Amino acid sequence: MEYEFPDELKYLQTHEWVRIEDNIATIGITDYAQHQLGDIVYIELPEIGTTLKKGDNVAEIESVKAVGELMMPLSGKIIEVNTGLADNPESVNSSPYGTGWMVKIEVNNKGEINDLLTVEAYKEIVEAEKK
Amino acid sequence: MITDLKKTPFYNTHVRLEARMVDFAGFSMPVQYDSIIKEHEAVRTEAGVFDVSHMGEFLLEGNDVIDFLQYIMINDLNLLEPSKGQYSCMCYENGTVVDDLVYYEEKPDRFRMIVNAGNIEKDFQWLNEHIGNKDVKITNLSSKRCRLAFQGPKSDEYLQPLVDIDLSLINRFYFAHCQLNGMSIFIARTGYTGERGFEISFDNEYAKKIWNLLIKTGASPAGLGARDSLRLEATYSLYGHEINDSITPIEAGLFWLVKPKEGIDYIGKKVLIKQKEAGTDRIIVGLNLLDRGVIREKFRIFKDGAEIGYVTSGGYSPTLKKTIGLGLIKKQHKEEGTELEIEVRNKFLKGVVVSTPFYRNV
Repeated sequence: MEYEFPDELKYLQTHEWVRIEDNIATIGITDYAQHQLGDIVYIELPEIGTTLKKGDNVAEIESVKAVGELMMPLSGKIIEVNTGLADNPESVNSSPYGTGWMVKIEVNNKGEINDLLTVEAYKEIVEAEKK
Repeated sequence: MITDLKKTPFYNTHVRLEARMVDFAGFSMPVQYDSIIKEHEAVRTEAGVFDVSHMGEFLLEGNDVIDFLQYIMINDLNLLEPSKGQYSCMCYENGTVVDDLVYYEEKPDRFRMIVNAGNIEKDFQWLNEHIGNKDVKITNLSSKRCRLAFQGPKSDEYLQPLVDIDLSLINRFYFAHCQLNGMSIFIARTGYTGERGFEISFDNEYAKKIWNLLIKTGASPAGLGARDSLRLEATYSLYGHEINDSITPIEAGLFWLVKPKEGIDYIGKKVLIKQKEAGTDRIIVGLNLLDRGVIREKFRIFKDGAEIGYVTSGGYSPTLKKTIGLGLIKKQHKEEGTELEIEVRNKFLKGVVVSTPFYRNV
């Protein structure tokens, strides 16, 4: 099974990906995570304006057989959520880095960005988990 | 000590197809090959093939088999005839369920019985314990034969070219012995998906050949995940959920299964007939959500703040494109349209009682 992990993104060992543009971070779950969860049927997204810390649970992802949690990779304020997922939760499976994005946050502690994993480090974590 | 999971004769096939394998009743079984929803939809629109070889298969032989089964089963074998099968529960004295199963009358002194995978040993023991002096011999064929379910609106069309009998002559719940490309099979028009289809059993040596022939027809491999979402839509009970050793068939809504059988005693009869006449304190109902989310088994159900029951099965329905479920609740709330609250982790979602089945196309 070959998973896709874009080079330009940052990752968490809990299988979130992060795209950083200035102080805005877009977050979703990786191709490996969507495959583990299976068909996703419902996502509970947070309220816009909520401020959360790195490591907080920010969204609940229900698949046919399981529930997963999206963790905040960085501390910040929710400024946008992907409302398209209400009608098309399956885009998380088919396009986890594109139309399957989940939340956008305004980062309030840029130092935390250094703790994020590079794609190589994340790939190693996935390899270890597969064993 | 680590015990390896048991494997069906199709294990290597599932692994080759990169199925996600899980422990089900001590067997390594495929939950899904690609996508539970896609497999579910394949069965609803064309046809799917399920490995159900983990289930149990017994042969009951002897002159007293019918008398024996009339005592063990709550359904009435007077409604049966050779070449026909019957769904039933066997119950404890208190009316709760040992297992639900199907038996097929090959001859009055020869029956084939298919039981749940998780109850094979328990059922075999239960049956043998009750033979007494009767002329009944039970053989456990579970590990000697394979079982596949071939289900979907196209199942007749896909299967007919492979078999040497006219499938249109087999009515629902009837069965036959025939040849599939020269290989002997037992084939019954029964199923657990709510679609037209068949369940077949055959010797282990034909496993690979028959699987390949069935897949070549265009049917999709389908795993236990789809099997569960299909049976939930069709509202078929699953042992351990809607029926178990603390729920009776009447509480599960299977009142039609409890037969009067005048002059014939059967285990649980007294309790069950009384429940059929007087009703029970609790009953299984269908559930929809009014709020968005997913309900799953064991979630508690409330009405105006008071706990009234729990979810026995729940999940997403690919056919209805919404969450559905079944719950065991206090009977005063069973009316269609009754609104209630279902506890989902740390929140309460609004739900409503609905009629069942959610979907059938048999």
